[in-house]
Amino acid sequence: MKIAVLAKVVPDYEVPAGDFELAGNRAHARYTRMIGLYDENAIETGIQLKEKYGATLGIVSYGQSEDVPILRKAIAMGGDSLHLVLGESDDPYVIASNLKIALEQLQDVDLVLAGQQSADLDRGVVHGVLAEMLGCTFLAQISRIESDQGRWTVCQNHESGSRMLQFSGKAVLSITSSPENVPRIPAVRAIMAAKKKPVEKLQGTDAPPMQVEEVKVEIPKLESVCEFLPFEDMQETSRMLLARLREERYL
Amino acid sequence: MRVPYWNIDYGFLIDILAIPALAVFLSGLYGHYRKIRKGSERLKTRSDKLPWKFGPVFVRSVLTKGILGTVIYRKFYTGLAHGSVFWGMLVLGLGTTLAFANLIAKVPVFSGSFNRWFMAFGLDLAGVCVLAGLLFFLLRRLFPPDRLVTPRERSGFFPMACLLAVILVTGFLIEGMRIRASAPELGSFVGNFVAGLIPGSDHITSYHRYLWWFHGLLALAFVVYIPYSPMVHMVLAPINTALADPRPGPKMGVIDFSRFDDESGEEMPSMGVAKLADFSRKRLLDFDTCLWCGRCHEVCPAAQTQQPLSPKMVMATLAGFLSANDFTDDSLADAIGVDALFNCTTCAACMEACPVSINQPKAIMKLRQNLAMERSELPELMSKAYNSLEQRRHPFFGTGSGPKDWQKGIDVPIFAPGQTEYLLWVGCAATYDERAQKVARAMVKILSAAGVSFGILSKPRCTGDPAKQIGNEFLFTEIAQENIAEFDELGIQKIITLCPHCFNSFTRHYPELGGHYEVIPHSVLIGELIAARRLVPEKSDESICLHDPCYLARRNHIEDPPRLALEAVGRLVEMPRSKRESFCCGGGGGNYWSESSGVRINQVRAKEALDTNTDVIATACPFCLLMLTDGAKKYTEDQKVFDIAELIAARLNLN
Amino acid sequence: MKTLIIEKIEPKRIGELVTVGRILGETPDLLALGEGEVPGTYPRAYQCPETIAANLVDGVADLIQRDGYQVVLLSATTLGSEIAGRLGARLKAPVLSEVIEVKPDMTVKRPLYGGKAVAEYKIQGNPVILTIRRKYFEPAPLEGTTAAAVFNVESPSVVLLSEEQVQTQGVRLEDAEIIVSGGRGMGSADNFEVLREMAGLLRGAVGASRGAVDEGWASQTMQVGQTGNIVAPAVYFAVGISGASQHLAGIANAKCVVAVNKDEEANIFKRARFGVVCDYHKFIPALIQALREEQ
Repeated sequence: MKIAVLAKVVPDYEVPAGDFELAGNRAHARYTRMIGLYDENAIETGIQLKEKYGATLGIVSYGQSEDVPILRKAIAMGGDSLHLVLGESDDPYVIASNLKIALEQLQDVDLVLAGQQSADLDRGVVHGVLAEMLGCTFLAQISRIESDQGRWTVCQNHESGSRMLQFSGKAVLSITSSPENVPRIPAVRAIMAAKKKPVEKLQGTDAPPMQVEEVKVEIPKLESVCEFLPFEDMQETSRMLLARLREERYL
Repeated sequence: MRVPYWNIDYGFLIDILAIPALAVFLSGLYGHYRKIRKGSERLKTRSDKLPWKFGPVFVRSVLTKGILGTVIYRKFYTGLAHGSVFWGMLVLGLGTTLAFANLIAKVPVFSGSFNRWFMAFGLDLAGVCVLAGLLFFLLRRLFPPDRLVTPRERSGFFPMACLLAVILVTGFLIEGMRIRASAPELGSFVGNFVAGLIPGSDHITSYHRYLWWFHGLLALAFVVYIPYSPMVHMVLAPINTALADPRPGPKMGVIDFSRFDDESGEEMPSMGVAKLADFSRKRLLDFDTCLWCGRCHEVCPAAQTQQPLSPKMVMATLAGFLSANDFTDDSLADAIGVDALFNCTTCAACMEACPVSINQPKAIMKLRQNLAMERSELPELMSKAYNSLEQRRHPFFGTGSGPKDWQKGIDVPIFAPGQTEYLLWVGCAATYDERAQKVARAMVKILSAAGVSFGILSKPRCTGDPAKQIGNEFLFTEIAQENIAEFDELGIQKIITLCPHCFNSFTRHYPELGGHYEVIPHSVLIGELIAARRLVPEKSDESICLHDPCYLARRNHIEDPPRLALEAVGRLVEMPRSKRESFCCGGGGGNYWSESSGVRINQVRAKEALDTNTDVIATACPFCLLMLTDGAKKYTEDQKVFDIAELIAARLNLN
Repeated sequence: MKTLIIEKIEPKRIGELVTVGRILGETPDLLALGEGEVPGTYPRAYQCPETIAANLVDGVADLIQRDGYQVVLLSATTLGSEIAGRLGARLKAPVLSEVIEVKPDMTVKRPLYGGKAVAEYKIQGNPVILTIRRKYFEPAPLEGTTAAAVFNVESPSVVLLSEEQVQTQGVRLEDAEIIVSGGRGMGSADNFEVLREMAGLLRGAVGASRGAVDEGWASQTMQVGQTGNIVAPAVYFAVGISGASQHLAGIANAKCVVAVNKDEEANIFKRARFGVVCDYHKFIPALIQALREEQ
């Protein structure tokens, strides 16, 4: 069994709103970079499958050479190899085409796991596009995976509950966070060993992007300015508060 | 003149019997030595030039703590009883030796005033002291205080104390019989008194003879049994003290990770401690020496708030493995309890209270290192803090503040190489926690007012101390090396710290990694600036209660400078537990990021401070500030907890 | 713009997409998934009992190509995200997810960086596939029902083994759109009753700060904050909560925080959108009354 996990290096997703700034329509370069939130859940899920079924686990990423030290965490957690396709595009089609290069290089990947969405553009599109390019099944927001005689049984968490699905053949699965896939903390020895692992860097390819023009990116007005409501007449204040909450679409 | 071995035929046999007794005694001690030698590291005899140090032996502490037993007197009655037994036995032992000397070399000890005042009066008095002390100990074992029996009591004290008491009583009876059968002896006030109680009989001399042999053999039995009973502490305690680095705090040192790089080695060394064999010899000696007196249990903030940790329990558990000769079982942490190991706030109150110089926090931290680095087992919150530290180089995950938020509206100079004198090291808490940010702002105001040449780093950094406290030395080393590289580049030599944890890391651990700086805690600098009248704060009659941060007072013996500074603005009041006996806020050892259950340490401490009826509570550590602010909320709605810098800055008249 | 909605038979979800469709042109067509009547009226409607997106893509792609749809609307749900990417790739169409604003000239907005930024796009190609974030568009009222043409799925590859709907008493804290939380300022366990009443009226859940849980006024499962539940409701009422950083960490993604606290210096006001500086004893009953009046 061969498993690949897609991991993306993104700017710190916990930067507080008050400190957030843009440079060239993207998060300012000063923020720490790290592996995306759900990607780590996907890596953890992959490692658990590796431990359970003796699979090999390749970590695949699309990005820049500077991402390598950060991606090594995935190796330290339990990944077997690291494959980085070099490129800078933000377009889901370009990204998917490039990831496909690495997956083809890996050969005969049975299962591709990816976080349900990246922690920068919050898109959740690339894995579906990639599945179509690879011509395999795609299921979203999976929390548990089991393999049984060539078939996969997975648990999908959706808005109002969960369901168990079964399929056979190759697939791309988007992974959601669950109590079972809380990312492990790599052991120090594994971190040290991961630093020595060779990384396969692949030259990226140009692919046609989506026909969409990004007009602008803006930071919405800061919510943290507290509007103090008058407190003389509580009835009046209550009605005012409810009206304001509706006006701003919170209720 | 008294005749040695009066009424005894072949009395020298007892001296001959002493030879095998002594042999058994020594072989027992050798057993201890052999176990301790299985520890991983030898004692450090090298490098550090400390006063009063010869080889591995710290002469001054062996004389004070080891022989005089200074720490034991912190509990006055226990100390008195122990002193009576110890010094009494020493005098009695000397008397016995002199009697032996008289026998073989005719040293004239049984004549004249020496006999009257030492051999008669002195030894009787010593005997009375020992008996009185033993009575105290026996009663205390019958009605023990909590610390002796929680979580369990070390066995062997009661029978040994009984045995010794019997030896003493028979000694006095022999003396009484001898006097009854011969004549009253000047100075032997007990012997003469006992003689008066003995009814006259023809058989006194034979009773005396039997009792003499009984007494002698019992004494030899006692000696033989010492290495196999808790009494072995009379040997181990001074040795343990002699080998214990007397500098305050656990002295964790740093780990050289390059030795883990060689994967070809036969057996990989453990990171931290998993099994007994991983401990250093000094730690094994600690476990062997520990008497389970529970003084550590009594002062431990975790144990006192009903959390799973008790330093005594840790020592007792490890001693169990040691006495079972179990050096390979790697379940030490599980036997103690993983939760318990993470309860430790590294406040070091336990080792401060220990009469026999045991380093409990180091043992705990070594086990924690293994959990953190090899088993990756951290409590949930600590693991979040760790992840944040690993990814963003600060542990305040989920902070609402950006790195420069604390500087809003004020002008903070950046450290300029070659021009600025001091680096103002802000640290993680004062950068990322809103409450603690006020401390950094106050300090900037103070330094500017005093005209100190200072600057901050353009990008905030962390010393790595939280990683070290959580047990991940690897991350600590990584962060520390990054900092040292940056400091080298900027030519930084003098550092002002806002946080005692940073101070401790810079002064204790950075030098071992090649970073040597002159570091001054902000509370000390403020005191100096006030003393030099570079700061002239207004004095008020406000009462101020100082909570001593563990990492300043206990771990670095900085107790008076913050007080001097505070006296310039108010009237000091003290808590029952202060200075190096301070009670932790609960935030140390990474436990700022913990979900403690039940009674909270910070509430206990806040209550202790509020009970002084103080107007404000001062501290000199951002973590203490945050913990006590939270703890005080249970008792008062007023904001009463402030950092020393805030209190001074508020009273600066800047015109 | 010739638009197709693909959605489960849930009136609110379909209604929101109809609203979006009407911004771009006439009432769109609908491919309704699941069993039951198809609510609302559409120029053309299809119905398919299949709700597993993976099995739908082939048929849907054929339909779109055959009928020449220019816009495909999905909601940003599990179903929507499962269809959108594959469908886009199949049709070589642009895909924009989590859309929160749509204009007739085909410019749309979607949030980035966890909502810390919003990007605006001009769509050039077609067809285009959009997934729409829920609760951003007023659902259009769906009147009547439409007789739908049967839409068949051929050779499904994924099989549904079992389905489980989460049953909870009231609303689950982490799912709640509205949370009413009490802190140490509540004073007692009994006082939490007013919060329950208020939450009931708002169809929200009740939370608590660590202080209140510590005091034993609320159960551990209600704890919100770094040590408890991390929540992301639309509105978070913080009542008698001072706002320690550990608590704020748990509500970092709450969209709107309403703070009620008598201490105007309380840290919670720094995070709050609306603040009321007063004793909650006075305010909460008034708010409850106002909510009652509305119903």
